[in-house]
Amino acid sequence: MKDETDRRLEQLFSLARTVQHDTSAMEEHFETRVMARIREQEAKAIPWFALVWRMIPIFAVVAAIAAICNMNFTPLHSEDMFAAIANGQEDYAGSFLTGE
Amino acid sequence: MITLTDESSDDHLVSSALKGDDGAFAQLVTRYKRRVFRLAARFAHDNDELEDLCQEAFIKAYENLSSFRRDAPFEHWLMRITVHVCQDALRSRRRNGNHSTFDGQQFEVRDLSADARHEAQQARDLLAWALARLKPDERLVITLLELEEYSVREIAVMTGWSEANVKVRAHRARQALKKILEQHDER
Repeated sequence: MKDETDRRLEQLFSLARTVQHDTSAMEEHFETRVMARIREQEAKAIPWFALVWRMIPIFAVVAAIAAICNMNFTPLHSEDMFAAIANGQEDYAGSFLTGE
Repeated sequence: MITLTDESSDDHLVSSALKGDDGAFAQLVTRYKRRVFRLAARFAHDNDELEDLCQEAFIKAYENLSSFRRDAPFEHWLMRITVHVCQDALRSRRRNGNHSTFDGQQFEVRDLSADARHEAQQARDLLAWALARLKPDERLVITLLELEEYSVREIAVMTGWSEANVKVRAHRARQALKKILEQHDER
């Protein structure tokens, strides 16, 4: 049974090899269609500088948020030296200690 | 001195296409479209899909032309792209559960009598039905090996699998195909 199926498979392959899908009609002007599609895709593609230009509002918003956060979370200069050290204001503390 | 042969060589056309000469790429399409159509027709299930597969293969070739290393002929590189495009189509069709094959399409049977032609068509239909029931990779390997008659080494290069892997997959595909045919006969 197995050998018979093998033989049949070989025969099917052999016969199927003689049959080719007739693509001659589809091949006509195929290069024109391919090149048209390539040009269409290229026209749709967005250049990098256009992408950067479109990203400007996002960059502006991020910069604004960073500026607001910086203003809100940076404590005001304290007249108290220990408070200045605790708040990370080493510049002020240094000036205070050196008397500048 | 540049001869006419040099100007029309694949390498020259690839170089020109890379410099922006679309006409050069169109010449490459003209040169290899028949090969691409022939191979893709083994996997497409209708003319629309065949056109799509062939266009996709050439568009991918165009987009990746700069990565063509010229250590192998352009044709081999293009056929590798075509195989990958067909493999993707088979996998996507499998996911969508579509088993249809080329029905009612025009086929060309050369140098055969009417009886032999009818027999060949029947064989093609039965084989197409059975192949559609294989896993995508099995169908790919058995089609390339048995119908397109590529060697194991060529298939390994085209698919990126090792030669041993190609042999194992081909063996499994053959076993699966035999089982499908036996089940078909038992009905």
